Amino acid sequence: MDSLRNMLVMIELELRRLKHDRTELYSRAVQPILWIVVYGPIMGAVKAIPTGGIPYTDYITPGVLIQSTTFVSIFYGLTIVWERDSGILKKLLVTPASRYATVIGRSMASGVRAIFQALILIPVALLIGVKFLPNIAYFISALLIIFFASGGFAAISILVASFMKTRERFMGIGQAITFPLFFSSSALYPIAMMPPILREFARFNPMSYVVDAVRGLVISGDFNNLPIDLVAIAIFDAIMFAVASVSFKRIIE
Amino acid sequence: MEFAVDVRGLTKVYEGKVRALDGVDLRIEAGRVFALLGPNGAGKTTLIRILTTQLKPTSGEAYVFGEDVVREGAEVRRLVGYVPQEMSVWTDISGYENLLIYAKIYGLSSPKRREIIWDALKKMGLSEVANDLVKTYSGGMIRRLEVACTMLTAPKILFLDEPTIGLDPSGRKVVWEELTSIRKEYGSTIFFNTHYMDEADLYSDEIAIINEGKIVKLGTAEELKRSVGGEVVLFSVEGNSVNEDVLGKVRGLSLVNDVIANNSELSVVAKDAETVLPDVMEVLRVEGVRVKKTSITKPTLDDVFLKYAGTRLESGGRISEVRKVRGRIRRG
Repeated sequence: MDSLRNMLVMIELELRRLKHDRTELYSRAVQPILWIVVYGPIMGAVKAIPTGGIPYTDYITPGVLIQSTTFVSIFYGLTIVWERDSGILKKLLVTPASRYATVIGRSMASGVRAIFQALILIPVALLIGVKFLPNIAYFISALLIIFFASGGFAAISILVASFMKTRERFMGIGQAITFPLFFSSSALYPIAMMPPILREFARFNPMSYVVDAVRGLVISGDFNNLPIDLVAIAIFDAIMFAVASVSFKRIIE
Repeated sequence: MEFAVDVRGLTKVYEGKVRALDGVDLRIEAGRVFALLGPNGAGKTTLIRILTTQLKPTSGEAYVFGEDVVREGAEVRRLVGYVPQEMSVWTDISGYENLLIYAKIYGLSSPKRREIIWDALKKMGLSEVANDLVKTYSGGMIRRLEVACTMLTAPKILFLDEPTIGLDPSGRKVVWEELTSIRKEYGSTIFFNTHYMDEADLYSDEIAIINEGKIVKLGTAEELKRSVGGEVVLFSVEGNSVNEDVLGKVRGLSLVNDVIANNSELSVVAKDAETVLPDVMEVLRVEGVRVKKTSITKPTLDDVFLKYAGTRLESGGRISEVRKVRGRIRRG
């Protein structure tokens, strides 16, 4: 009960920070907007990628969305490094909150940022004519999936942050994690099109499952894989939270 | 009796190599202001981090108000307030919001919460800037906000790691005035690390000197200073009018420990220079010795430190480094 309350407090903290300053969300929106507005229509015109009858820009919109929210979550690990450099993490450790609640709460708080990032991109996608399924319940479900998956990705960054001594070093690593995940997922093309080795990699890529679930809910209406996707995301979260909680000890010392 | 802090044979070895604490024994009575004085790398921060349950000791035991810091960590965390050396507030939200977040983490119930937060802000003189972003605060204001944060739970003991590092003299003074008032109001024990001699001297009831992971001396500031020898009154006299007879009479005064004559200078060593001075003057006047000038030198904590730790406290480089870090943090 206390742990749940502490997680909610961490989420509230993130909302309050966003209330004061959203510039990061806007500047991070530039890159995904280019994918949707420039790359999507141009590649779509070539008609080289089998998308099952969906316009190419519509096809990649969930992928680009997830890529950008993942980026937000991965870089959230930076906040943790920052909080270690400052005394915040030390101070949090001396409160009655449990360490696990602190780690999972901070991870989940990245989901708040991720959702706001998604909410900035969706109007842009609508504006250039991406057709979302007109169902608000599906839409909310998709946002919840993004929220929970972001927690797992933030936990990856907490894990990586525990090995990093400086913020600067982390910047490069953040890119080095996100882009391989992006290109080995079904974000831009179906997994079936990939070379066999990459296809194997994609099977263990959590981003593939998130993209697939969100694409089903908001674009294609294909729910066949949804149960598998949800189970995969839950397993991913559970593993990452456990590993991050253990590695958290290293951050403290 | 129950001690606020009770530490026995505590050691901490980092990564099997660096021996940060090397058999620390320490007992602090409840309600006192205790200063742990030592150079960088002496083990001050490690000791505070163990006492606040952040780190586990390699061996030995530590208790805070009778609770074991390893086995009863959760209980200890409910008793203590803690201000780390670095900044422990979020700069991108307001001062009020910082306290609100911490109040929620501590599980303060909502009807009382607002009142307690505003009370803490008022006491720390921050109510005017409560809704401003913390990044607009000065270093001293940030420290006061951190102290306000510990006040939310009225802790039995407050651990402060270098509470005034990087602050200007007036900022330091304000922080200490507030800490003193907290102690009066809640009767909290205060445990602080410092490498400012004057701070330990002015504000603590008891001082421990730590060097290379060991407590080398413990006592009140007065006791420590006395332990390096007495105070010295120096008399400059006219001509060579001090003869053996005069020396004998001065030596015969009560409270005088030693007298040394050197040409036209007379040094009187005593426990308390101010009390001895008039008596010596009287003897010299009666003996017809004319005094041109007197001066008193008292041992400082720096002398104490030199004697027991074998080095002087060198802090210049460290302070500028911390200032830099704090500056960077504030810019975000």
